[in-house]
Amino acid sequence: MDLMPPIASICLGFIFGYLGQRARLCFIGGMRDWYLIRDTYLIKGLFAFMVAALVGFGIFHIMSPAIKTFPWFINGEAVFAKKWAAMGIEANPNFMLPVPGDPITWSPRAFAHIILAIIGGLGLGFFSVLAGGCPFRQHVMAAEGSRSAMVYLLGFALGAILFHKFIVPLVKTVLG
Amino acid sequence: MRLTAAVAGAIVGFLAALVQAFFHVIPPPAYGICIACHMRDLVNWIAAHIYPIYGFAKGALTIPGGPVSYHIPLLTIIGILIGAGIAAKVNREFRWKSMRVSWQKPWVEFFWGMGVMISALMMGGCPVRTALKTAYLDITAMVGLIMIFVGVILGCQLIKKIS
Repeated sequence: MDLMPPIASICLGFIFGYLGQRARLCFIGGMRDWYLIRDTYLIKGLFAFMVAALVGFGIFHIMSPAIKTFPWFINGEAVFAKKWAAMGIEANPNFMLPVPGDPITWSPRAFAHIILAIIGGLGLGFFSVLAGGCPFRQHVMAAEGSRSAMVYLLGFALGAILFHKFIVPLVKTVLG
Repeated sequence: MRLTAAVAGAIVGFLAALVQAFFHVIPPPAYGICIACHMRDLVNWIAAHIYPIYGFAKGALTIPGGPVSYHIPLLTIIGILIGAGIAAKVNREFRWKSMRVSWQKPWVEFFWGMGVMISALMMGGCPVRTALKTAYLDITAMVGLIMIFVGVILGCQLIKKIS
């Protein structure tokens, strides 16, 4: 049993929560502010996050074997082709396919993933802007004492169970 | 240096690459930080241990989620709640409140939370992980990020109309 990932993730979560509370970091809020009032304070956080992660992956993929799949469509395909073969799925590696990892992203068809990204992205943006912030911001607001955000977390947790019990079989039947 | 959103985002983005490189938060790749996925791992792990029937598939206990969380789930959610709570307490920003606008009343937020979780898992990550996957040069995540922006525009139109 490897205790490293939970400890590392709780530390990273602590840092993320602390910095996010101080800076009011919110990615959906950044897009919303930019669209409504052309305010760029929050959306700079999104771009800084992406640039820093890109730089980080670029540096660490020289140093660590854990990021050997980094330019995913250059190095990663062979690795995941092997994994698919081990799972009994016949698939051609394709640069349109996403980084695998969720039960729903094991399908080897690129078309299905693009459809799912479109539906999921639309729903995520729409519901998040109505809820008043991205999931991370809701967690921070719950820790600040907002009752709305606490109830949001309950719905968030229940959504995971509903998704795995009902939506995954449905999607697998519809998209193959 | 003042702590702006850009600085906070840059620090966390770099650390998300670091935990994947040296602290075994893998597989799947680009899993260093994600709200929806880690919440899903935690909830499924707890549900499968309280109600083993939830996790049974083909006669064995299987926990749906990232393979890294099979034995012990990732605890990012707990860390965020503790960190944000301490930050709010230390800076005297903690107070009980609920939103005034009609579509952010607590019982309505429940359904928004459910919708956000279902769409996020359908896409394979919350906005944070979508940004991380985009940095991992994943084309599906780029499409997802653009569609999130379209969804935000639709939501803003609706808010303008009902407010």
